[in-house]
Amino acid sequence: MLLTLDLNDARPLHQQVASAIRHAIGEGAYTPGDRLPPARDLADALGINANTVLRALRDLRDEGLLEFRRGRGVSVAGRADGRALLVERARELLDEARRYGYRREDLITILEELT
Amino acid sequence: MTPRSAAALWGTAVTAALVAVPLILRDRLPDPLAVHWGPAGAPDREQSFATGLAVQVAMWIVIWGFLLAAAARERTLARRMGRGYWWGTLVGGGLFVLGMGGVTLLANLDVADWTAAVLEPWQVVAVILVGVAAGLLAGYLGRGGPDPEVPADAEPPRLDLRPGQRVVWVSRLTNPWLLAVTAVAAAGLVVVAVLDVAGASVGAALPPLVIVLLVGLLTTSLTCRVTADGLRIGFGPLGWPARRIQLSKIDKAWSDTRYPSQVGGWGIRGLPGAATIMLRGGECLIIRYHSGGELAVSVDDAARGAALLNALVAEKVSR
Repeated sequence: MLLTLDLNDARPLHQQVASAIRHAIGEGAYTPGDRLPPARDLADALGINANTVLRALRDLRDEGLLEFRRGRGVSVAGRADGRALLVERARELLDEARRYGYRREDLITILEELT
Repeated sequence: MTPRSAAALWGTAVTAALVAVPLILRDRLPDPLAVHWGPAGAPDREQSFATGLAVQVAMWIVIWGFLLAAAARERTLARRMGRGYWWGTLVGGGLFVLGMGGVTLLANLDVADWTAAVLEPWQVVAVILVGVAAGLLAGYLGRGGPDPEVPADAEPPRLDLRPGQRVVWVSRLTNPWLLAVTAVAAAGLVVVAVLDVAGASVGAALPPLVIVLLVGLLTTSLTCRVTADGLRIGFGPLGWPARRIQLSKIDKAWSDTRYPSQVGGWGIRGLPGAATIMLRGGECLIIRYHSGGELAVSVDDAARGAALLNALVAEKVSR
């Protein structure tokens, strides 16, 4: 599972982690039924507290993306929500646009130019 | 000669010798035969002529069958290490089975009763040494050409790292079959100890039990992690002990499909520089060291891990 955290992201860390996991599942790395790496592994790799990862996992469970099963760990329940994924990608696109000096309005114009 | 025809010819020859030689010498052998000897060289188990013969032939047929099946599937022989193991097992295994049959016959030859059959320990040592030496030689000669550098279809996707990002890759793998084998082996040792089968006392069965449990548990699951520190491979359910490989040692990474039959089985295989951590056949993460050595780890989602490793290595170099 490839997880990306943006160090300049102002959102709470657990939201960022949830975004990163949602993104990884949306990319097709994990299909329904696949088990996620243990929260402790994810936390160790990201260098953050395991409780933060657990909170992100719980949020994704409430969203219907993950399911928790006793003794089986955390597994993917369904496909990533299309809208949630799009919001994710749009946020990244916006970040990228800002890096090149484009404002939100410019991006909207670019999108409108696409047919 | 193709491996398949070599296996067919050599296997038939070994089988024929295993059957024919005892039959020719039958008049000079006792029935039952001594088939097992204690450490002092005195016989401690007997079998009828027919059973003894059948057991020896069956032992060879099992080895031979595995080799034929491996040759038929071809992927075993697709890689250098697999070819080495295959030829080594064919020649070394055949000679070993023949040798064991030979020393058994020699010990039983012209004795009045199986209890009088004496086995010289040096003969057993010689058979093992000849088998191992011939196996190593055959494996070396049959290893064939080097493996392709990086298979064309195994080139991992490119990954761009942006400043201000922390990218990590985490994957884990558990093979429930290996866990089951460990459990069965451990249960078997407990049964042996408790029921006092084969004269084993509880104390004598404890060290192998501990070893089977430890080795089994440590090689049934693994966790893999790629961070800015490099690659970390944690063994067992706790992810400890762990093997860490620094980015500075890594030349490049890719993913490839490898099978236990190509590397000599499950678990940690090979030698440093050409090692494989094989928990199941399929997708493996392969890293090439600057020193030229390689390490393969069977793990899911390996292509993404390889892509991140390559990106991190490139970033470190450019800095």
